Amino acid sequence: MHETNDPIGTDPGWAARVRRSRQMFGGKPVLRFQTEATRRTFIAGAGLVGVGATFVAFNRNDPVAFADTTGDIDILNYALTLEYLEAEFYTQGIAGNVITDERELELVSPIRDHEQAHVDGITQLITDLGGTPVESPTFMFPDGTFTDRDMFLETASMFEELGVQAYHGQVALISDAEILGTAAAIAGVESRHAAVVAHLMGGEPFPAPFEANLPMEDVLAAAGQFIEG
Amino acid sequence: MYTRKNFIRDAGLVIPGAIALTMLGSKFAFADDGDFDGPLDVLNYALTLEYLEAEFYRQGNAAGLVSGQAAEYLATIQTDEETHVMTLQDTIASLGGAAVPAPMVDFGEAFASEANYLETAFTFENLGVQAYLGAAPSLFQEKELLTAAASIFGVEARHAAILGVLQNKPAEGGVYQGALETALSRADVLEAASPFIVSAETL
Repeated sequence: MHETNDPIGTDPGWAARVRRSRQMFGGKPVLRFQTEATRRTFIAGAGLVGVGATFVAFNRNDPVAFADTTGDIDILNYALTLEYLEAEFYTQGIAGNVITDERELELVSPIRDHEQAHVDGITQLITDLGGTPVESPTFMFPDGTFTDRDMFLETASMFEELGVQAYHGQVALISDAEILGTAAAIAGVESRHAAVVAHLMGGEPFPAPFEANLPMEDVLAAAGQFIEG
Repeated sequence: MYTRKNFIRDAGLVIPGAIALTMLGSKFAFADDGDFDGPLDVLNYALTLEYLEAEFYRQGNAAGLVSGQAAEYLATIQTDEETHVMTLQDTIASLGGAAVPAPMVDFGEAFASEANYLETAFTFENLGVQAYLGAAPSLFQEKELLTAAASIFGVEARHAAILGVLQNKPAEGGVYQGALETALSRADVLEAASPFIVSAETL
């Protein structure tokens, strides 16, 4: 994994700890259980942090702030902004033929279609709820993003991991069960994208046994680098 | 969910907004209120599925059917599922509940070949994704559990996608299952998992 900016990137030291902890387990039958000490060591080694009684998060992420201050429509508009970014990114990349390998293109093209479907769906959902969908910002991408395959995929990976963490950061804050179901259904697809893109660029499709999450301000700070103005 | 999948595959490109709305606004086969008897029941349901997956990969990886990058990925998937098992057990215990024991399993011909192994794994992972999504509303009031379950759900989706890649499945309808994940009810999940379970205290 190449180095990426906090808070999106994977801490190489952490990844190594995960790998080591995995070796610890090599071939041990999980269903004939280890000692409690072993379990604890494994969980600690894998970088797990127990938060409160039950919540589990990775050490690069703070526990979700369970403060319900954001309305569902605001959350949906936040998601919409990220989906705009992703849809624009993949649309430009595929239009610019940055991916030339046939199988790679087959795997990346549906991502563009999914992101566009997410944009359309969330837009209509907001309207349906009586809200006003935000307009798409103007995005700008660094030179080379749509001409260099590796740069494109690295950026894609960053966006996908960011998207995953964004959705997971909102899970506890969504007040309507139906909207939660929708957000979760999208989040799962973002996870699939993240894994596939990581695989294509020789990264880690399974960076951790649990998805990480990020609060809105951190995600927007990261995404903001690509937003004009 | 065949209808939606087929539609997406046939349509090929951008899904019209009206369809997207239909997908977003309804059609979730969410667990009925009667599906689960409280959070512990949901957690034990998830635990049973994770037991099944962890044991499946333990046996499959031990069978030496895969090599190279596929073997590395499957080893990681195994430890992911093992971690899910332990985490769910710990969570149940911390809530004062009793974790169900692992089911007796029989994976039949799943390890007869690499192709069987990967295809069964693919099936399990997609089932896991759908099971978690189906159970999510039953955890809706328990925000910490909901967040934790969602964090597992996403990783199951990663597994499912990569297992599709490893088998060179078509992108849409194989690696991806449309623009949205779909949910399955408890009954449907049980039916799909039942061929592999000889006995289980709960599902």
